[in-house]
This record gives sequence, structure tokens and C-alpha cells, in this order.
Amino acid sequence: MDTGFISSFIHFLGMMLLITSFGMIASPQVASCIRFYAMHSFLLALITALVAYTNHVEHLLIPAFLTLALKTMVIPQVFFRIIRRLGIRKEVESYVNIPFSLLLATLLVFLSFYMTGDGKILKSVSSREFMPLAVSTVFFGMLVMTTRKKAITQVLGLLLMENGLFLMAVTMTFGMPLLVEIGIFFDVLVGVIIMGVFVFKIREAFEGIDVDDMTVLKG
Amino acid sequence: MTILRLLFIPVFFGLVSLIPAPKQFTRFNFVLGALILAASSWLFVIHAHTKSRIFAFGENLMMDPLAALFVLLITSVGLLSAIYAAGYLFREGDAAISPLRLRRYAFFFHLFLFTMLLTVFSNNLGLMWIAIEGTTLASAFLVNVDDKKSSIEAAWKYLILCTVGIALALFGIILVYYSAISKMSGGERELLLNWTFLLDKSKSLDPQTIKLAFIFILVGYGTKAGLAPFHSWLPDAHSQAPSPVSALLSGVLLSCATYGILRFHILVQAATGSSFSGSLLVLFGLISVAVATPFILEQSDYKRLLAYSSVEHMGLAAVGFGFGGVWGTYGALLHIVNHAVTKSLLFYSSGHLLHHFQTKEIKKIEGIFRKNPFLGSVFFFAALAIAGMPPFSIFVSEFFILSAVFSAKRFVVCTILLFLLALIFAGFLRHAGQMTFGSPKEPHRPEKSFLMDSVLGLGMLLILVMGFYIPAPFHELIKEASLIVQGVAS
Repeated sequence: MDTGFISSFIHFLGMMLLITSFGMIASPQVASCIRFYAMHSFLLALITALVAYTNHVEHLLIPAFLTLALKTMVIPQVFFRIIRRLGIRKEVESYVNIPFSLLLATLLVFLSFYMTGDGKILKSVSSREFMPLAVSTVFFGMLVMTTRKKAITQVLGLLLMENGLFLMAVTMTFGMPLLVEIGIFFDVLVGVIIMGVFVFKIREAFEGIDVDDMTVLKG
Repeated sequence: MTILRLLFIPVFFGLVSLIPAPKQFTRFNFVLGALILAASSWLFVIHAHTKSRIFAFGENLMMDPLAALFVLLITSVGLLSAIYAAGYLFREGDAAISPLRLRRYAFFFHLFLFTMLLTVFSNNLGLMWIAIEGTTLASAFLVNVDDKKSSIEAAWKYLILCTVGIALALFGIILVYYSAISKMSGGERELLLNWTFLLDKSKSLDPQTIKLAFIFILVGYGTKAGLAPFHSWLPDAHSQAPSPVSALLSGVLLSCATYGILRFHILVQAATGSSFSGSLLVLFGLISVAVATPFILEQSDYKRLLAYSSVEHMGLAAVGFGFGGVWGTYGALLHIVNHAVTKSLLFYSSGHLLHHFQTKEIKKIEGIFRKNPFLGSVFFFAALAIAGMPPFSIFVSEFFILSAVFSAKRFVVCTILLFLLALIFAGFLRHAGQMTFGSPKEPHRPEKSFLMDSVLGLGMLLILVMGFYIPAPFHELIKEASLIVQGVAS
């Protein structure tokens, strides 16, 4: 394959990545939110693998593979089991309605392109537009965490943030040292499991997983 | 004894505690593990030649005097908490906790100690990040031992807020790595996150990027260290956790996060040669003291009172580190040690109070002294000690920090600090006086526990002695550590 084709393919994947993170914000159901997260991670793994291939940094292939295995398969499966056992079918409840959060998300994309698009402060080693994409993914994660009511969507927002940081590490430095990268994957996996356990505990104690029911502690 | 063997001890005892065995066995194993860990860490630090660095695991782990100081802190407070918990959580009677929960508690307790030790032993900054995230994950279950509504809420807030904070810190670490990798050849990739390596090459790091990285690290680890305005998880988690865990969270977990900030503070100082990171530390330190003050004055729950006091003391330590110099740095390190001992003593006595009075409200408690003179005097004097009354140890380190601020000729900062400290002192005196004196309402007399009382006595002795006299080897250790923080030692 010639490099021109691959680089334009990477650009295409970057745009798809942005669309899936918009999808996560726009999705009215928890299940579709999880599916969008899985797609997001899948695209991330593909981008990482292509960056590794074009720039001959073979050590990046291991994180790419781990992303594929953990974030597109294992973690979404864990989430699907959780929502099946919790019996959630209802729509995602949000403090701001979906059109408005999409508007906010668009503004955040503009903001991140404005801040980092010129590549002055933070130069990326591969494709240039990935830096603002990574920053806006982190912003999107924060948006999901702050506007959603369900405890489980907060965890999804956290994971989206982590995806953004991963993309940032890949584009700025071709990923962290392998030991650190594997450790981060381990932490993410254990974190998801522990938060999952707590989601069940919240359900038992509060008879629902809306975080705005949790108002016992003040002052 | 090596670093790896020391790290192995808590993992081993944590796993052994999971064995389904009678309660007495779990309890024995639980305390034995903490005892062996504390004893071997003291032996290790004493035998290690204090001035040099000891490496392990391919330079990813490292112990220098700064790390050694924190290792002693973690294992010693860990031992005290374990002994106290052996009396507090393993009690018999109506309030007894089921053996399964106790086994799980013992497991996570040792795992928590392990992750904190890994944090301070990490030379690889990425590994340190993983370890700090590990402390959150290991202690979330310790915060929620009883599955009450309020403890689940506290644990959830703790998990989510600290994980978000830590995610921001990860961005800071990526920036540090980026600034290192863009200036150096690709052959040393695996070394590039090592603190010692970065410090040696600090002049070739890009100052702008490092400064940006420090802001993210400060916000990220500052969340974990309880610096205001990122402290909102702290009072909830500290007040809902069982007392021995609160002591660990407040005394050593906050200190470990501060240790993470310190390592980056040293790097920024070396790379930029400016007081950029110091000024930020002073700013956030002052905000923390100022934010904590009204909550200490108007507090209705004594465990939350102690939690806000932790915010205040972490702020003071940050001010000390920020001003730096011989006095500021030495004082701040000593302050972290003294705060750990005094605050854990107060949290242990809050465990006694909860046991005796069955309430966390300050207003509902009167006449501790009449009811139990030993507990009353320990609580009252420890409360005065934490507010900064001489002759207790906190006074000495606060004095060092304030004189550092004074000798830097920052009189406005000094005045603000003194004013806030006076307010906090008044608040503590009022609350502690109201709780200690007067006549008790209900004559409820729970059985005494020798283990729990002896921990209180030992803690009281420590804060009194440390107020007058710092043992020479310990003084040397803090001095060496403060040289590292100042960037003087190579």
C-alpha cells in the first residue's frame, strides 16, 4: 500500500472517531452509548495500529492489540452484563437535553482546534489534526460525566476521557513506555470492575442509580 | 532486605488474609503482617546507606532519603492502624462484623499499604501514576465497609473524583514524556520517564512544556492530596470510613499524593530554574487553609472537623514546600510526619468516641472527661496539638514553615496565615472544650479494649516527645530528604 492512501485513510478514521464520540453524546439509550464506546475504541485501536505500521514503531502494536481486546470486547461486555442485571431499558437521563449537549460538544471541538490545532505548543509526531481530536475527546468525556445522571454513564464518560488521553499519548509520543502502558490498561480494567460493583451497591441502597439521589453528605 | 522483598510482604499477608479461617486467625495474620512490614522497613532504612539511591527492578523502583522518610511514615501509621483495627473492627457483640467482610477488609488494607509503598518507591513516573490510581481502587472498599447509604455515596464520590483528577495527572505525565522524547535520541525510550534520568537531563527539557505539565500534575495529584478547591471528596470519605482507615487516608494517603507532587516540583525547579512551581504550591496551599477555616469553625460532625483540618494541614505543608529554603522544606517534611501522627491519633480517638457515644455529632457529646478520663484527656490534648499548641510537635513544624515565610519577606502571606491559624485554633478549642467538659448525658459503658487504648497512649507519647526532641538519625533523614527537595543534593 502506498503511504498517501494510508495517511488519507488515517484521516478518515480520525473523522469517524469524532463522529462516534458525538454519537455517544447523542445516544438516547445506555446500550447504544456502550456500542458507540466500543466503536470508538475499535477505531482507536485501528488508528494506533496504522500509526505503528507507517512510522515503524512496532512496540505500539501491543497497546493497539490490548485496546482491541479490552476496550472493544471485554469492557463493553462487562457493561452489557451490568445493564442486563440492573434491567435498565430507560432512556439516558441528562441534566441538559441532547440537542443542547450536542451544541456544547460542537463548541468544545472548535475550542480544542483553536487551542491546539496550530501545533505550536504541542506538536504531534504523526497526523496533525489528531491532537485537537484527542483534546476534544477528553472534553467530551468530561461533558458526559457532568451532564448525565446515571452512575453507569459517568463511568462511560471516564472511559471516553481515558481514550482521549491514550490517543494523545499515541500522537504526541508514539505511546508511553510499554510497562506504563500495560499498567494503565490494568488499572482501567480493575477500575471498571470495582466501579461496576459499586453501581450494584448504589442500586441496592438507593433503589436506582441516579447520582442526584446521593445527597446525604453535606458541609 | 530489598525493595522488592519489602513490597512482597503486604501482598503476601493480604492474600493470606483471604483464606477462609476463624476470625482469630484473620486478626492475628492481619496485625502480624503490618508488624513485620513496619519492622522490616525500619531495618531496611537503617541498614541502607541513607545518602545514596538504591535501585531495583531495572531502575523503575528507587529509594532515596525522601522515599525512605515516606516509607517509614506509611508502615508506621499502617502498624498503628492495624493494631487499632484489631480492637475496633474485630470486636465481638452486637456490632460485630461478619468474618467474610473482615477477611476482605484485611485484604484491601494490606493491598492499600502495598500501593502506597509502590507509589513512594516508584522512580518511573508512569509507574507512580499507576500506583496512585491503585491506592484509589484499593481504598474504595475500605471507605465502604458497612454498605450504608452514606458510605456508598462517599466511596462513589471518592472513586469518581479521584479517578478524574488522576486522569488529568496522566495528561501531565504524557507532557513530561513528550518534552523528554522530543529532545533526546530514541535509544533510551524506556528510561525517559525515570525521575533520576529526567533530573540528570533536566536542563535539556523544554521549560514551557514542563510548566504546563506541572499545572496538570498539581490539579491531578492535588485532588488526591486534598488541596482546595479539589478537596470535595475528602470530608465525605474521611467521615464515612471506619476510624483506622480514616487515619490511614488522612495521615499517609494525602502525604503520598503530596509526595507525587513533590517529585515533579523538584523536576520543574531543576528544568526551569524558576520558582514557578513553588508559587503555585503557595497559592493552592493558601487557598486550602482559607477554605478549610470556615468549615472548621462551623462544623457539626467531629469526623468532618478532622477531615477539614487535614485540608488545612496539607495546605500548610504546600506553603512550606512552595517557599522552600532550608527552613521551609525541612519544616514542611516535618509537618507531614507530625500531621500524620497527630491526625491519626485524633481519628483513633474518634473511633473511641463513636464507640462510647454512638453519634458523630459534636453537639450531642458532652463530658468525655467525666466518663472516661483517659480518653477525655487524650482527645482534648490531641485536638489542641492539631490546632498548633505548644509543646506538641505540630507547633514546631508550623513554626518552621511560618519562619520560612517570614524570612522570605512575604509579610502579607504571613499575616493571612497567622490570622487563619488563630481562627482555626479558636474553632478547635471551642469544639473540643464543649465535647470534653461538662457532665455526660447517658451512662453507657462499653467494654474496654486494651489494644485500642494502648494505641492512643503510644500516639500521645509520640506527639509529646516529637515536640521537644527529634532523634538524631531521624533528623538526619529529614535533612537529607529536604536537600533533595531543594535540589541541592545530586
